[in-house]
Amino acid sequence: MRAAGAIFRRALVDGKVVTASFAVVFAAMGFANAVGYRRTYPTTRERLELARTFGLNKAVQLFYGRPHDLLTVGGYAGWRLAGFGSILASAWAVFAVVRVLRAEEDHDRQDLVLANPVSRRHAYAAALAAVAAAAVILWLVAMLALVAASLPVGGSAYLALVTISPAAVFAGVAAVASQIGATRRVALQLSLGVLGVAYLLRVVADIAGGAGAVRWATPLGWVEELRPFAQPNPAPLLLLGLAAAVLLVVAGAIVTRRDIGNGLLPAHDTAPPRLGLLRSPGTEALRAERGSLAAWALGIGTFAVTVGVLSTAFSKANISTALEHELRKLGGTSIVTPAGALGFYFVFFVLLLSLFACSQVASARREEADQRLELLLALPVGRARWLGGRVVLATLATAALAMVAGVLAWIGAAIEHAGVSLPRLIGAGANTLPAALCFLGLGLLAFGLAPRASVGIAYGLVVGAFLLQLFGALVGAPGWVLDLSPFSHVAAVPGAPFRAGAAAVMVAVGLAAAALAFASFARRDLYAG
Amino acid sequence: MQTPAIHTEGLSKRYGSTLALDSLDLAVEPGEVYGYLGPNGAGKTTTIRLLLGLHRATAGRAELFGRDAWSDAVAAHRRVAYVAGEPTLWPGLTGAETLAYLANLHGTTDAAYRDELVERFRLDAPKKVRALSKGNRQKVQLVAALATRADLLVLDEPTTGLDPLMEQVFREAVLEAKQRGQTVFLSSHILSEVEALCDRVGILREGRLVDQGTLAELRHLSAHTLDVTFAGPRPQIPELPGIHASIVDGSSMRFEVAGELTALLAELAKHDVTSLTSRQPSLEEIFLHHYDGSGGAPVA
Repeated sequence: MRAAGAIFRRALVDGKVVTASFAVVFAAMGFANAVGYRRTYPTTRERLELARTFGLNKAVQLFYGRPHDLLTVGGYAGWRLAGFGSILASAWAVFAVVRVLRAEEDHDRQDLVLANPVSRRHAYAAALAAVAAAAVILWLVAMLALVAASLPVGGSAYLALVTISPAAVFAGVAAVASQIGATRRVALQLSLGVLGVAYLLRVVADIAGGAGAVRWATPLGWVEELRPFAQPNPAPLLLLGLAAAVLLVVAGAIVTRRDIGNGLLPAHDTAPPRLGLLRSPGTEALRAERGSLAAWALGIGTFAVTVGVLSTAFSKANISTALEHELRKLGGTSIVTPAGALGFYFVFFVLLLSLFACSQVASARREEADQRLELLLALPVGRARWLGGRVVLATLATAALAMVAGVLAWIGAAIEHAGVSLPRLIGAGANTLPAALCFLGLGLLAFGLAPRASVGIAYGLVVGAFLLQLFGALVGAPGWVLDLSPFSHVAAVPGAPFRAGAAAVMVAVGLAAAALAFASFARRDLYAG
Repeated sequence: MQTPAIHTEGLSKRYGSTLALDSLDLAVEPGEVYGYLGPNGAGKTTTIRLLLGLHRATAGRAELFGRDAWSDAVAAHRRVAYVAGEPTLWPGLTGAETLAYLANLHGTTDAAYRDELVERFRLDAPKKVRALSKGNRQKVQLVAALATRADLLVLDEPTTGLDPLMEQVFREAVLEAKQRGQTVFLSSHILSEVEALCDRVGILREGRLVDQGTLAELRHLSAHTLDVTFAGPRPQIPELPGIHASIVDGSSMRFEVAGELTALLAELAKHDVTSLTSRQPSLEEIFLHHYDGSGGAPVA
């Protein structure tokens, strides 16, 4: 038991930064949605208007699922928080569980742990208990944020529970995937693949006519049936708990039977040499990242086709003035035209591409943390050449993903005869780049100045700026604070004209930060992880 | 006089409040095999990181073949090959792919010699690095470094994880490199390896170079040791200058002699000696001379 306690504490401490980050996001979403709704829709008349228009809009349901009650603060907050937060909580559970169950084995640390007087069953249970404890923290924080926004305690506790609940199922999915895949990467791909399918099934259930029964095929659909603040029905919680229990028991049974360090899928450890892309550190990075680049392209492409198809879902007839006002704060344009709707959606591509830029900073940092960079720099490879290769790769890959977004959104829009031309949507894709490159430059600067904290800083800047953009206006932050977020300076192309001045400033900030990054990286020691 | 392969002056490195390397003055001549000895944490890897321009010196300077280790690192590295103590490598590449990548980056690699080394080290080249044991990953690094035929090989505890057969292959390869006139900087705490390979040895203790020289020079600093057994009970031997006597048992004594042996031999000749062995101190004894075994202050 003593050893199990040590494993539990280690796992909890290892995950503390990620847990704290998600807690902040849940708290911000819960608080801002409740407070923002009260401010924006003070009267029943406005709330009815919202329910009639926004709530029935398929494009909005893409993110938040099906609403049950948009006439009360709790009903609205429940829809917004549980609808989107349940996806976030599921992704959190996947990363947390793969981290404690598979990443430890990747680094042979699990051998060290299991050499102690602790059974595999106890080690497995202790690691999962740490994730469960972190989930309880997330639940508490989300609940407190809702209570702070003047929602009743009981309902807040239930809504927070609903939001976190699918994490249990996806913890089970990740636990099984960690037994199947022999590496962290494979386990993550399997689990996130299952999450992607679960999300697509929810989308189909919500926005395809007559497909409501599909909702029962996905845990994210069961979450929708829990109906926080709208005639709550906790029965599907049993379904979630049962699914989680079955998956966790199956994974636990495998973990006591298999070889530690291996998975059920055989690892392909021998291969004839393929010597392509090994000429320089930059091309090697492309080689190492190609799988993840393909996954990003697939995800962004799927999303782009979907928003293209949905670009005609808004019309003058079914939009309220209050809603128009709220959305203008996000995208700064009218969304009733297809071009305007696409401009609104492309704000999310700015977010995705900025996160992708962060992932490239993280990849560079990993090469340093794993001490592979020492080997490279001990060769006749200069620091500027190495970092330059990384920057070129990150920039070109971000640009390529922006083009994927533009072209595939055009294909989706063309299917629905939305009448937005290919050049305009390629322009919309290109318009996402200045902000993403600004974040890339800032992430690089963090890498140059504070390498150990750089990955957290890079992601933190993007998420913080996006939350500010999303909720800053709703909770009444002053204008100069809102202006700090690069998101507020991205024009909603193609619905609004390109803002060349703002784009130039963002590119200039990115370039200046990158230049400082090169200068500081050239002067500093290398730091192992 | 030719340019030294490695030259440092007052080279120091401070990490926060820890002085990891304290004013190192070092000169390694071309063609020399230099053993860099010290226990864990003495500053061996710090020295190497400074020599390779991976970390920046707090004070002093380092040069490789006359080129500044920090500001002219890329040019210096064209003549250097490095083997790291903690081989992580690229998990998704196979051994052969890793060798190709490192060869591409170095620019000069003797492909025929590389293939020969792959054979001699029995490297499982088609296997991915993530599936290799520590020793096998070390072999990938060693083959890559040796195959460059670089003028200077910087080896940081290169044989950790190697089995005795591979350790033997490694020693042969280093001696071949020496015969070709390559310089080797071998950081190690394996004394037999250093004794077998190195022309000169430096001993590092808590960031300071406490002793340096050829093995013969280092030995002169220490005593000869004579173990003597007498036929009967041990006699009374008078105190002699520069000689330290200790009693082993009823009929045996040990003498540590710092200077001339003549006076002691003359004294011993007066007694019935059945056995006398004389030996010079091993590198291990010289090394332990600088550490009291518990890592504390050196034995005076």
